[in-house]
Amino acid sequence: MSLWLTLAVNSIALGGLLFLLSAGFSLIFGLMRIPNLMHGSFFMLGAYFGVSFLQQGVNFWLAALLSGVAMALIGGLIERFLLKRLSGQELPQVLLTLGLSFIIADLCLMIWTGDPWQPATPPQLRGAVQVAGLFFPIYRLAIVAVAVVVALALWLMIDWTRLGAKIRAGVDDAPIARMVGIHVSKLFTLIFALGAGLAAFGGVMGAPYLSVYPGLDAEMLPLALIVVILGGTGSLVGAFVGSFVIGFLYNFGQAMFPDLAYVILFLPMVLVLVLRPQGLFGKVMS
Amino acid sequence: MATSALALDNISAFYGDSHVLHGVSFTLGEGRLLGLLGRNGAGKSTCMNVIVGLLRAREGDISVFGESVRRMSPELIASRGVALVPQGRRIFRSLTVRENLIVATRNGNGKKAAWTDETVFAMFPRLRERRSQLAAHLSGGEQQMLAIGRALMNNPRVLLMDEPSEGLAPQIVAEVMGTIRTLKASGLSILLVEQNPRLVFDIADDVVILNSGEIALAGSAKAINPNDARVAQYLGVF
Repeated sequence: MSLWLTLAVNSIALGGLLFLLSAGFSLIFGLMRIPNLMHGSFFMLGAYFGVSFLQQGVNFWLAALLSGVAMALIGGLIERFLLKRLSGQELPQVLLTLGLSFIIADLCLMIWTGDPWQPATPPQLRGAVQVAGLFFPIYRLAIVAVAVVVALALWLMIDWTRLGAKIRAGVDDAPIARMVGIHVSKLFTLIFALGAGLAAFGGVMGAPYLSVYPGLDAEMLPLALIVVILGGTGSLVGAFVGSFVIGFLYNFGQAMFPDLAYVILFLPMVLVLVLRPQGLFGKVMS
Repeated sequence: MATSALALDNISAFYGDSHVLHGVSFTLGEGRLLGLLGRNGAGKSTCMNVIVGLLRAREGDISVFGESVRRMSPELIASRGVALVPQGRRIFRSLTVRENLIVATRNGNGKKAAWTDETVFAMFPRLRERRSQLAAHLSGGEQQMLAIGRALMNNPRVLLMDEPSEGLAPQIVAEVMGTIRTLKASGLSILLVEQNPRLVFDIADDVVILNSGEIALAGSAKAINPNDARVAQYLGVF
């Protein structure tokens, strides 16, 4: 396979992972206005959970699901008992999530040591498919397929269900939403838990590809941040498009201009912040 | 004595250090329409916010059909059948017309709900035509209808309306008042806040006039003469 095609497939696979990571980050930031600096930690901790499940002989997909559920529970508890107390206070929220991310990083180091873990690609996803004489690794295509399914499911939930309408109503005007009987605070806990769970699920999905190691959280968080700033906070379409744009910029940037990789990655973010602060698909906040 | 749908008993409320309501008491009888009048800043909207739980009263009690709701959250108060048409409409702008209605659905006590999106659309046919449009794209009058419809989806026992005529063309105001008359005729207990006393005296059974957070006058609409010098003084109009 040619270098370009390899880069393109890697970019799409990374884009899929970034979507799993940043969809939750975007919803939490866009809907609840919580700048969650723990989001990279959710990804990493989820990946470590997955590693442990896999060591117990659990099936790969089940491990990803269990890890997502465990992280959703942890995320829900953090939101309910810590972040809720700081509702509307952005700086204390930033500091709390930053502090918790350090704690999680240290705990991970204690439990899973400083060695990298790279779980094997699940047997059913090994190998490649041949299309028009070109080989595509099945596992990377599976990541993209999962991301697309998750994107569709989230879109259906937010835009086409009564639950989604209630969430959007809570974002529009929280006091009035409460007054019409919507339990806004419970919905926000649900969103936070969902975001945490998705990040963890993405962490397990990405583990055979990225491997799991101390510092993975700090590598993923800025990527999620760029995706969300580029795509627009709270916009699922924005997170989806942004994820793939960043996936391509990251891989091609590193391959073609390794010295300028970070410039290529962050320059679009700077331009968007200056020229279109609400992001490509975001709405201007009232 | 008739059952009280809503009773405020010696309510005091503050915004920060600012004392806004000073021992306000009044009762809305079941199936009656009480008009709450007063100048800007008299405390009318604060009364509404206290009733629906958006502002906690520091003293006094509020009861809905005999049950105290003072310590309840806005969600719980809504579950007791209290619905508000807020000042400035405050519809959910990023939701469609129909979504604005269905998010507010409450089926009271498992009985077949009188108000559904279909019955609201029957009352306001223009909303049916725009059911799939974003609420932000509605005209002022349509937004007011949607705010009323959204409150009705609660299948309320007590309906609070905060300045429903504000900012609307006279023809639309007449339409809104017609709707309020219909709702009153259906037996709903209504608390109507208005700046325009003509509208209130025209429709209300009872009238309460607030002045600087205190009750200045209260009584049956028939007993209070809108042309009385004191009324004019409290309302600054006529």
